[in-house]
Amino acid sequence: MSVQAVLAVGVFVVAYLLIATERVHRVAAALGGAAAMVVIGASGSRQAFFSEETGVDWNVIFLLLGMMIIVGVLRQTGVFEYLAIWAAKRAGAKPFRVMVMLVVITAVASALLDNVTTVLLVAPVTLLVCERLGVNPVPYLIAEALASNIGGTATLIGDPPNIIIASRAGLSFNDFVLNLAPIVTILLVVFIGMCRVLFRRAFAADPERAAKVMALQERDAITDSRLLARSLAVLALVTIGFAAHSVLALEPSTVALLGAGLIVLLSGLPARSYLADVEWETLAFFMGLFVMVGALVHLGVIEQLGQLATRAVGDHYLVAATGLLVGSAALSGIVDNIPYVATMAPLVKDLVDAGGGAPQAHALWWALALGADLGGNATAVGASANVVITGIARRNGHPISFWEFTKYGLVVAAVTVSLSWPYLWLRYY
Amino acid sequence: MQARHLVERIPVVRRETSALEAARIVATLRTNGVVVADADGHPVALVDGTQVLRLVVPRYVREDPLLAHVYDEAGADEIGARLLGRTVGDLLDDDDVAVQPLAQVLPDDTLIEIAAVLVRERAPMVVVRDEAGTSSGVVTLARVLAAVLALAGQADPGVQRTLAQDLLDLDTEGQGPAR
Repeated sequence: MSVQAVLAVGVFVVAYLLIATERVHRVAAALGGAAAMVVIGASGSRQAFFSEETGVDWNVIFLLLGMMIIVGVLRQTGVFEYLAIWAAKRAGAKPFRVMVMLVVITAVASALLDNVTTVLLVAPVTLLVCERLGVNPVPYLIAEALASNIGGTATLIGDPPNIIIASRAGLSFNDFVLNLAPIVTILLVVFIGMCRVLFRRAFAADPERAAKVMALQERDAITDSRLLARSLAVLALVTIGFAAHSVLALEPSTVALLGAGLIVLLSGLPARSYLADVEWETLAFFMGLFVMVGALVHLGVIEQLGQLATRAVGDHYLVAATGLLVGSAALSGIVDNIPYVATMAPLVKDLVDAGGGAPQAHALWWALALGADLGGNATAVGASANVVITGIARRNGHPISFWEFTKYGLVVAAVTVSLSWPYLWLRYY
Repeated sequence: MQARHLVERIPVVRRETSALEAARIVATLRTNGVVVADADGHPVALVDGTQVLRLVVPRYVREDPLLAHVYDEAGADEIGARLLGRTVGDLLDDDDVAVQPLAQVLPDDTLIEIAAVLVRERAPMVVVRDEAGTSSGVVTLARVLAAVLALAGQADPGVQRTLAQDLLDLDTEGQGPAR
């Protein structure tokens, strides 16, 4: 390994430690690491900006940007508030049924939208429904965070690690739906059953309180029916576009940007209203990460690690998949799964390529996705949705301690990851 | 005209004052906020009246304005109940509540000096405090403007009433039994 490669590994390790320990802001750590890579000559404008292998993967950045803009318009329609209140009433305001409905809505929405956005939209109306029901909202909020991470695993756009995996592996939206949605559906059913047991003390019903929920008018949440209709039409078109992107020869990022352009055009909303929902910090963080990991690819560090891993794995792909599934889950519970997957993706690509397209090798991508996405449920800081939910709960006078979240999250992560293993084994090996 | 001539006594609240009382002061006197006093009863800070409403409007409604449309009459009893058992201290401890420290003037500061402080601080009142640190009350924006109008020969009965009657007196008249 050259001196330059050793320096690059040093920069990467330091930046990763800073991100993991949150000693400095993650954007500063990622952009600082990227700058250091340029200074030591491990990256430059050509590698950073014009190669998705060694620099910024613009497909990921623009897919995220497009979806953030779409959500920026969609959230102003009141559709989530409408759905949640409608669901609570359909559940007859019976606490467990309300939780089931909210969990299903959150999981399905998380498959189509970003997890953080989904919990941001569902949590306030959950607080309203719980207040009316006179039940403690904490179990409901925790269940929603866990459901968002499970539901987000199902699709290419559901969770940022999936977007990275799809771009690096050349996987389509339909590949994710066909390979991950079946197990996610099973996991969701199991999770609902677990909610009945885990949160059994949260379902005390009071008929008087229930009447107050039934009195809510979900239609009041919709202030602009035309905007709602147009936004839902665009979301449907975007979803069709994702499903048909191979046929249309359009990258998911292009589909998302076309959808964003269309929804902005049709909504007539001022730019600041939907751009306020664009998480520029997240986009900058991704760019910094890509440049750092790309520098290691450019210098051949990842290739060497890939060769080592390939020799170690040989043709024992089930062992490799098990290691990836469990290892990714364990790490994702502790550190942010985005930098983890950004780092692992080129390495897994080498392993998959070495397998010569064998389905057993290809399944390593699904092991990585399942481990990284579901592992995020393990602790209160394992996934962005968990952090957001605990923040909303605290601000509304219902603090959720790290351990309170983790005691539920750990059980759910352990069960869902454990159930994913036989799925991988039976389907691919 | 100096601060000693414009000073007036106003109702103040302390940390332990109930939120209901703070709401009553704003509602009765139509002031923009409530003045918080220190342990000795001297005015030290101003809490904007809109911030008292924080105790009434649930946070999740503030963060999701669409829910305000949904929050129907069935929840009306919950709105009032939110003030019960809450104190001014709850507001002061909320990091999101802007508590504005009151600027000070000396008893012999002139009208224009007081006006300059109000403009600079964008404040609706200043505390009048002598060099020994003893406070004799506040000079409000209303009273400064009333004084300006009086100097301009435009003192109608309303303006004269503002100059003559302290907010504390108005409050005492309006509330009936003593608190």
